[in-house]
Amino acid sequence: MSTLKKPDLSDPKLRAKLAQGMGHNYYGEPAWPNDLLYTFPVVILGTIGLCVGLAVLDPAMVVGEPADPFATPLEILPEWYFYPVFQILRIVPNKLLGIVAMGSIPLGLMLLPFIENVNKFQNPFRRPVATAVFLFGTVVTLWLGIGATYPLEESLTLGLF
Amino acid sequence: MNLQVEYLKKEKEPMNNSFRQTLTQKAKGFLSLLFCIVFATAGIFFASDALFPQSAGAYPFWAQETAPESPRDSTGRIVCANCHLAEKEAEVKLPLSVAPDSVFEAVVHIPYDTDKQQVLGDGSKGDLNVGAVLMLPEGFKIAPEERMTEEMKEKVGDVFFQPYREGLENVVLVGPLPGKEYQEITFPVLSPDPNENSDVYFGKYPVYLGANRGRGQVYPAGNKSNNAVYNASQAGTITQIADTDFGNDVTIETSDGETIVESIPPGPELIVSKGDQVGRGDPLTNDPNVGGFGQEDSEIVLQSPARIKGLIAFIAAIMLAQVLLVLKKKQVEKVQAVEMNF
Repeated sequence: MSTLKKPDLSDPKLRAKLAQGMGHNYYGEPAWPNDLLYTFPVVILGTIGLCVGLAVLDPAMVVGEPADPFATPLEILPEWYFYPVFQILRIVPNKLLGIVAMGSIPLGLMLLPFIENVNKFQNPFRRPVATAVFLFGTVVTLWLGIGATYPLEESLTLGLF
Repeated sequence: MNLQVEYLKKEKEPMNNSFRQTLTQKAKGFLSLLFCIVFATAGIFFASDALFPQSAGAYPFWAQETAPESPRDSTGRIVCANCHLAEKEAEVKLPLSVAPDSVFEAVVHIPYDTDKQQVLGDGSKGDLNVGAVLMLPEGFKIAPEERMTEEMKEKVGDVFFQPYREGLENVVLVGPLPGKEYQEITFPVLSPDPNENSDVYFGKYPVYLGANRGRGQVYPAGNKSNNAVYNASQAGTITQIADTDFGNDVTIETSDGETIVESIPPGPELIVSKGDQVGRGDPLTNDPNVGGFGQEDSEIVLQSPARIKGLIAFIAAIMLAQVLLVLKKKQVEKVQAVEMNF
């Protein structure tokens, strides 16, 4: 068990801080040297090890071809984080409609804070509508994103039905 | 410094000359070789055309003829797909990484239903053939017999591996092979050694596979084979279906009185009869094709054993350092617990 420092409630400085909801670093496990000097380097070294391992075992420096604006590749797929939006653009029959649907995503995200502020609670369980919309949106995004990797005919059913 | 420069100058001149000489010699040799190949392929081309007027399109020399440099277009499409229009799956199984100068297997899967029969050149039915082109990274080639183990020799069988063109040993063609025995083709591959060949580097490289079963649908010139759907070139009424010795002649009368004769070779079965109305581009026959072409992109790492050893040592050092840090922290905690003055 790590060493824990108890809050010294006779200390007026600490009491003043606690009254303001602050002063958490006056008690608990001390950051120096326990975390900063010993635990952080463990994590840093682990990260370096993983990066070096990946660089050695998967040296992907020459994979991929130079871009050729006159030769469209057979399979066009954007970066993975664009998959859902790409899928929207792909399945909507009208190009203009597709662009509108695509553009409405950042617009909707921009409006979100203003709409959300109608409900003053932060707890997700006290905001059932917002939470439901969020969960539904997440599922739809995943569905669209996975669908982007399938051929167009089976992209909506994901080839399951 | 000056000495060095002079030394370099002296050394450079004769080397340059000899280099140039070998270059011109090589170029001459290459040119004569090229002429030989051109004549030979042209000869084969015309001879085969005379011998088998509707010979199967499974032969890779059509690809070598139309795309002499590389079987892969800049779009990433393997040129076989220009004639083998149907799309079917194909797969290549490769090791994740290989050591230099080692022999490994690249296994190509060309699955299809072996009960199916395809239309042959004369219209009769027969078994499907398979073929594949495997584009290995530069420096990789088919392993020589003496480098293969007995087990590997057995797996490979007596498949003939052919380089795509002279001097391009890393692009390998096989086929046509009887598909019943060769739904799985094992390529024995020898990896290059960057320590001996300075053109090759350790790293990750793409591998492209194109694999086909069955005959093609069009010839390089664009004319259809008898393994394709035949369509009406004009809208009209079918006035006559004449059975020639070689397939059928379908006569279509258009609305302005013109008659067109569509000759259909044996193979595709007619789905229209006399008196039918057909639109422009409507199919006159069924689709006899049961095969198809597939391509897959894969990757392989040419890995240096020294790097792996270094990595293991490095990871071991990191793990040791992490353990020591945790132990040190535990020690400090004990001191903190005793002193309780932090």
